[in-house]
Amino acid sequence: MQDRAIIHLNVTDFAVAVERIQDSSLKRVPLIVAPARAARALVYDMSEEAYRDGVRKGMRLNLARKYCRQAQVVHPQPALYRRAMTALVKRVVHYTPLVEQGEEDGHLFLDVTGTHRLFGPAPDIAWRLRKQLLNDLGLDPVWSLASNKLVSKVASRIVRPFGEYIVGSGEEHSFLAPLPLAMLPGLKPEEMKILADFNLQRIGQLAKLSRQQLHVPFQKRSTYLYDASRGRDRTAVLPGRTGNARIVREHVFEEDTGTYSEIQSVLTMLVHETGRDLRNKKMLGRRIGVSLTYSDGKNIIRQATRKNGCDNDFLLRTLAFTALGRAWQRRVRIRRCILICDRLVPRPQQQTLFVMQTRREQQQEKIICAMDTVCNRFGNGTIYLG
Amino acid sequence: MTRDEQQTLHVQGNELCPVLIGTSGYSYTEWVDSGFYPQGTRTPDMLPLYACSFPIVELNYTWYQMVRAEAISRMIARAPESFRFAAKLTRTLTHERERDWRQELKLYREGIKPLQKQLAAILIQLPPGFNWSRNNRYYLAHLLDSLHGFPLAVEFRHVSWARDSVFAELVQRKVTLVTVDAPPVPGLFPCLDIVTNPELFFVRFHGRNMQGWQSGNMQKKFDYCYSEEELKEWNQRYLQSLRSRSRRGIVFFNNHVRAQAPGNAKTLQKLLQQ
Repeated sequence: MQDRAIIHLNVTDFAVAVERIQDSSLKRVPLIVAPARAARALVYDMSEEAYRDGVRKGMRLNLARKYCRQAQVVHPQPALYRRAMTALVKRVVHYTPLVEQGEEDGHLFLDVTGTHRLFGPAPDIAWRLRKQLLNDLGLDPVWSLASNKLVSKVASRIVRPFGEYIVGSGEEHSFLAPLPLAMLPGLKPEEMKILADFNLQRIGQLAKLSRQQLHVPFQKRSTYLYDASRGRDRTAVLPGRTGNARIVREHVFEEDTGTYSEIQSVLTMLVHETGRDLRNKKMLGRRIGVSLTYSDGKNIIRQATRKNGCDNDFLLRTLAFTALGRAWQRRVRIRRCILICDRLVPRPQQQTLFVMQTRREQQQEKIICAMDTVCNRFGNGTIYLG
Repeated sequence: MTRDEQQTLHVQGNELCPVLIGTSGYSYTEWVDSGFYPQGTRTPDMLPLYACSFPIVELNYTWYQMVRAEAISRMIARAPESFRFAAKLTRTLTHERERDWRQELKLYREGIKPLQKQLAAILIQLPPGFNWSRNNRYYLAHLLDSLHGFPLAVEFRHVSWARDSVFAELVQRKVTLVTVDAPPVPGLFPCLDIVTNPELFFVRFHGRNMQGWQSGNMQKKFDYCYSEEELKEWNQRYLQSLRSRSRRGIVFFNNHVRAQAPGNAKTLQKLLQQ
């Protein structure tokens, strides 16, 4: 089997990098991205200079200002970051269709296995991409190359904020061994605590434990820990987030909220926009995901699926509320809510011979049709489900 | 450099010095498809297999990323003790000097340490835009001073460096001038058989793909296969002259596309054995 070549591109402090491109005067000052108008605003992102002064993501803004007094604060612009991410992806897909992206965070995984005849060796592709992104967009990503996503991500973490790292195939284990456990992606705080109790500090120490030994304290997670500590990761680079294969709607609360009904009403609004988009595209969504960004910067995404797919606002809303129930796990206020509708399939054009819908479903369809007519005439946002 | 000065570089009269022949890089997946490596060869197994065919390799990846001692140590462990390496200087010291070059140089010196016993040369490949300007001359002088103690070879790409004062300075510093075979592109440093360091001559064959050279695509740039006649002619015209004036030499083929480099390297090995 051919060794895979996975490139990880990471634009460090993505929001800051984008803000600095938009306003070059911000390059000369330490920068904090945070909703300054909110009463208890938290840091969304910060520049390297602010980080060195002790500012961290999720920190209260007034505290961050004390740590870095000369910092300039700008309001977050998620839509701008999303546009920048789209521009980033547009340049990258030229080299491979297998591109996986995060949520406007400047992270991209590229699987360039088998592209050498077209574009040359993988390190050359990574280097060219970095050069192109710097020239075209002004973004200077860290790049790393390894045989899987896990190792390439760790390699990027080592060299950030600037640089590159190539981990040769077969060197994953020896590359990870001397690194601290905190560098291993996916480790939960409670797992870190258990590992600390065992006096394990390096990834290599974890890799010395057998599956059976790991199973005792970590149960189901032992398989992941066993593989990850040896630099094994078989997960594929999942494409499809780059094109029209999903619909994403987002709402950033003016002030962080902990009211369930407020989030439900925002979700209803997002569902209607998504449903309308689906109907215009003649598509059905089979999965609804709800991503909640908490005040401390932590992000949780949960989904609900419907096998046959739907474009009906009532059904979509039910799915969205189910996903919300799964995502709302913490007693912490919510800053941002994202609705993601994916696994899209074309709506069947062939009509059924007999009416298969219940009376209630027929009524719902008429209501949605009437709402779409109103929105088409008077604009988006004029009417929503109650 | 005058002819008299050149004469003083003759070290062994008409005797020809030994030459180590290899390729620029060894870790190419397409060399498996092209048959140089057996089917199913994985990346970690490539260096031991390569070392069965050639005694030396030029490390390309050191141009893309800063060398790291631990990675170099892991690589050395997979090659025989007699095997030799030439390492390119990192691009942040030649092509993309945006960072603090003194710091970068310090990192390079640290990173290359484990290779020292098997290091044939450090290749300072300068970009086409690096011309014979005052600033560039100062920078190169600083670079050579800072790397003093290592076997150094300089490859110029800009024609403005082809002048006697440059060669004389390299002679004084015992730095090898790299002889390059490349397409006859205007403004490119010419192919010269000048020996500036009698301890070592250094040759790089880039191929003669005129169209591909400026395409910006490595697969086109280095897609060229030297015929046996071309290599014979080159041997007679340049290589014999270089060998007669040096104690040892290294030759690398950079036309890696479709494993043409190892093919040409083997052909040249046979020619020199005849």
